[in-house]
Amino acid sequence: MREMINGIIGGFKILISLDKEVYEIIFLSLYVSLTSTLLATLVSVPLGIFIGTKKFIFKNAVVRFIYTMMSLPPVIVGLIVFLFISRKGPFGQLGLVFTPTAMIIAQFILVSPIIVGTLYTASKEKGADIKRVAKTLGANKTQTLILLIKELRFSICTGIISGFGRAISEVGAVMIVGGNIKGHTRVMTTTIAMLRNMGDYENAIAIGIVLLILSFVINSFLYHFQ
Amino acid sequence: MELQIKQLIKNYENKLTLNIKDLIIPSSTFLGIIGPNGAGKSTLAKIIATLENATSGEILYNSNPFTPQLLNDMTLVFQKPYLLRTTVYNNIAYPLTLRKIDGKEINKRVCEILEEMDIVNLKDQKAWTLSGGEAQKVALARGLIFQPSLLILDEFTANIDPSSMMVLEKTIKRFYTKYSPTIIMVTHNLQQARRLCSHVAFINKGEIEEFGEINEVIFNSKNTATKNFISGEIVL
Amino acid sequence: MLKFKNLRSSLLLICLLIVTVISGCSTKMNPTTTTIHNETNVTEKQSSIILSTTTSTENSGLLDFLLPVFSEDTGIEVKVVAVGTGQALKMGEDGEADLLLVHSKTSEEKFVEEGHGIERFDVMYNDFVLVGPKADPLNITKEAPSDILNAFSIIQEKQGIFISRGDDSGTHKVELKLWSDMNIEPTGNWYVSAGQGMGAVLQMADELMGYTLTDRATYLSMKNTLELDIIVEGDKKLFNQYGIIAVNPEKNDKIDLEAAEKFIDWILSQKGQSLIESFGKDIFGQSLFIPNAK
Repeated sequence: MREMINGIIGGFKILISLDKEVYEIIFLSLYVSLTSTLLATLVSVPLGIFIGTKKFIFKNAVVRFIYTMMSLPPVIVGLIVFLFISRKGPFGQLGLVFTPTAMIIAQFILVSPIIVGTLYTASKEKGADIKRVAKTLGANKTQTLILLIKELRFSICTGIISGFGRAISEVGAVMIVGGNIKGHTRVMTTTIAMLRNMGDYENAIAIGIVLLILSFVINSFLYHFQ
Repeated sequence: MELQIKQLIKNYENKLTLNIKDLIIPSSTFLGIIGPNGAGKSTLAKIIATLENATSGEILYNSNPFTPQLLNDMTLVFQKPYLLRTTVYNNIAYPLTLRKIDGKEINKRVCEILEEMDIVNLKDQKAWTLSGGEAQKVALARGLIFQPSLLILDEFTANIDPSSMMVLEKTIKRFYTKYSPTIIMVTHNLQQARRLCSHVAFINKGEIEEFGEINEVIFNSKNTATKNFISGEIVL
Repeated sequence: MLKFKNLRSSLLLICLLIVTVISGCSTKMNPTTTTIHNETNVTEKQSSIILSTTTSTENSGLLDFLLPVFSEDTGIEVKVVAVGTGQALKMGEDGEADLLLVHSKTSEEKFVEEGHGIERFDVMYNDFVLVGPKADPLNITKEAPSDILNAFSIIQEKQGIFISRGDDSGTHKVELKLWSDMNIEPTGNWYVSAGQGMGAVLQMADELMGYTLTDRATYLSMKNTLELDIIVEGDKKLFNQYGIIAVNPEKNDKIDLEAAEKFIDWILSQKGQSLIESFGKDIFGQSLFIPNAK
């Protein structure tokens, strides 16, 4: 318990300490998770709406695949991405291993199914109605898509929030593909894992508190936009 | 808008639901489509509005095949309206914003129709807080605001309270008198057809049993199915 | 589709499961279940202890080799928690482990001095080696094949990539001591601080084609998957002594000192020591750990 209390105090101390290393870690966490969530949103929102409103062969299989992907363990994703980008892997030449880009790729894979799944469910329920209304009122294809996005904005927000939540809190994938390199690929979650390994529970909790505060701020911000 | 329906067939899961040999609806007709439940009335309305595809056959709009351009000039009002998650005002203005009409003009027209239908008080209300009757008034206003020359009404007053129904019917009548569009109204309510329509088509088991001027069909029907339907209806 | 009826029955099933688990737990936790207790006393005392050790020990596979033999001999089950030396010592301090097997002599002696442990015994040693890319781009093999300090200064001068454990582990401490012996402050793009275990760091050195300091055992056990060769070995500074300590039983009433001491006696015995010596010979052709109990 002593660690918990000291950790909570430490968390606030860290936030106001202006320690460069800590701020780099926080900034990198936000950069990686926000970028991956943003990219995933751009791809997954149209994809989710497409799957939810169109008929095509193997649709059921695709839907089941997405639901499976939603619960994919981050370590597995990390491992697969690592094998692809490692020096001996098919994309080894790109030199992505242990870079923030690799972390964004891994988190993109983790976040996308969540947003696709959320949008699929929402557009399956309401998509047909929205498209019919758009058509009867004379909307063209682009206008229909805009209307779909507008009408589904709550689900989009929900998807983004849960996707970002998964990205920022995930440790397995970024640890494997990023390598937790100090000053380069070290993010909040890998720092916590490392500090725990080092027996430094207080600082681990402190960073955890910082993570919690940041998630809270970002979620409040997104909810406000709803 | 004149409509010509030719050899229109619709199959649902290999079951024939609609089979319309030949039907011409002249421009500025107010056609009521009546008939028992499951006769294929709504299916026909949706095919005309191109919300569903026919299995075979075709429909000509003003003697031309369908082009997406036509969607700007026609609309369908559903039995259960889907209103956009925004205010009443924005819902009604939506078709005009699609047509890139200038904001002042939009405001003028929306206010006009709100007054006409006596729902000015709902202007800033959120769509999801409306009652069924109010929602349908908004949906109708939204359909009429861009003055379509083909208006399709699919059981649009079913489950609506009588006073709202009165307003809806009055609005349609006024719109018809003012702009002379072609209106196709699917209804199972014969009295409503008599109040509003110039012509009526009686559909039974997917086929048009009778088509003609409303009084002609109701009073001089030679078809037994039609007669049974009409007499049953009048007793009701 | 899950029908309501199905839903209800599955809910019921879940409730049942929870109830079973809870009741199972409560009987386990209740020390007054005398019948079971007596029975086990009559036959053989079934106890289990927690051994907190370093990741390098765990990764080498030594414990997987030793522990089954020990359990067969004594009936004591050993649960291994592999963490960095820093946390291993912390676990001992908090009384969360019965036994420590670590390799950071000064920290260990301090641990016993402060009363966290009973006594420290030498068990065995292995050595650290500097590994690097097969091609050895810095040409250290030629210039300093058995002089680790020289090798380190070459790496620093030529800005060769060096992967540091960076996790406060025993290996990390040894590495930091070497840098400080040279009066070098290792910073810059060439110095990659990973904050991870030995296995991950070796992988990383392989990927980034860098150098790293590793214990021989972990390196040999992963050698086949890596394109890394031994660059520097045999320097006395790379000697790595393992010690074993029983945690002070006053830390926590769950600590089983008797069983912990049994393990210490066993691993220091003729049998334990010769098992350690034989480990790895069949696969690597050499002992990974050299027993040196006094």
